[in-house]
Amino acid sequence: MVKTTQQKIVYEQMSVGYEFVPSNFRLDAEKMKAFLNAVDDNNRIYEDNKIVPPMAIAALAMAEMALSLSLPLGAIHVTQNLEFLQVARIGDQFTSHASVSRKLERDKFHMLTISINVQNQHHVNILSGETSFILPLAATEEKQ
Amino acid sequence: MTLKLEELTVDTKLQELKRQVTQEHINLYATVSGDFNPIHIDQEFARKTPLRGTVAHGMLVLGYISEFMTNSFGQNWLRGGSLNARFKVPARPGDLITISGKINAVQKENEFISILCDVFCQNQQNESVIICETKVKVNADEDCR
Repeated sequence: MVKTTQQKIVYEQMSVGYEFVPSNFRLDAEKMKAFLNAVDDNNRIYEDNKIVPPMAIAALAMAEMALSLSLPLGAIHVTQNLEFLQVARIGDQFTSHASVSRKLERDKFHMLTISINVQNQHHVNILSGETSFILPLAATEEKQ
Repeated sequence: MTLKLEELTVDTKLQELKRQVTQEHINLYATVSGDFNPIHIDQEFARKTPLRGTVAHGMLVLGYISEFMTNSFGQNWLRGGSLNARFKVPARPGDLITISGKINAVQKENEFISILCDVFCQNQQNESVIICETKVKVNADEDCR
């Protein structure tokens, strides 16, 4: 995986529209096999057709985003939307773009939504999605 | 295993999938995803939190749902599927997760059919782990593969 380094941003510093530094990663056969073992997926469709499970791309894109993000301890992943736009091939190189699409702060309810778009090395959109977290109020207040 | 064209009708049940959550799988997922949050992998830390033990990554369990959809819709799911998932209760090591679902709408769009499904992900106590709506586009004149 090719890493693009970026300082971690904390929740309080993020506003709607904030864009994370794009990150690059590659999914080779070994990484794909490790992912399929982890999720206990024994469908042969991936190996037979030399294609990558889109959830592996989503997992790595989110992992890259998480490297640049510091959420309060106790943040909960509450919703996940994903759209698989194109089949990706083993060995493809991906670039993930993430940005803050919503930040709700209403009384004791704090929610953060981050959009992710992943392209392959030909700049074709492969996957898009939105991830939402609910944040523990006490933890966010302590930092203010 | 994948659905045939004549099966793409409202109320068709999708083939159930069962998966046992283990700490070993959670640890593997942490390694492959790079998400080493101690709530997933550190028993001692997790015991002291309100969750009282380690829990699986939500995206790991979402992987079961994607496999479930792939089993029914094949490459149609991989190249044009979408999902909206809500995480309800965490999956824990030892949980037996059952994924079930059915087609709830079929919409014809020229040479394609959009299939909308309700997918349920429950633990052995019938608690909802994830509630999910999925959509997949298939060719109007051929079986899923």
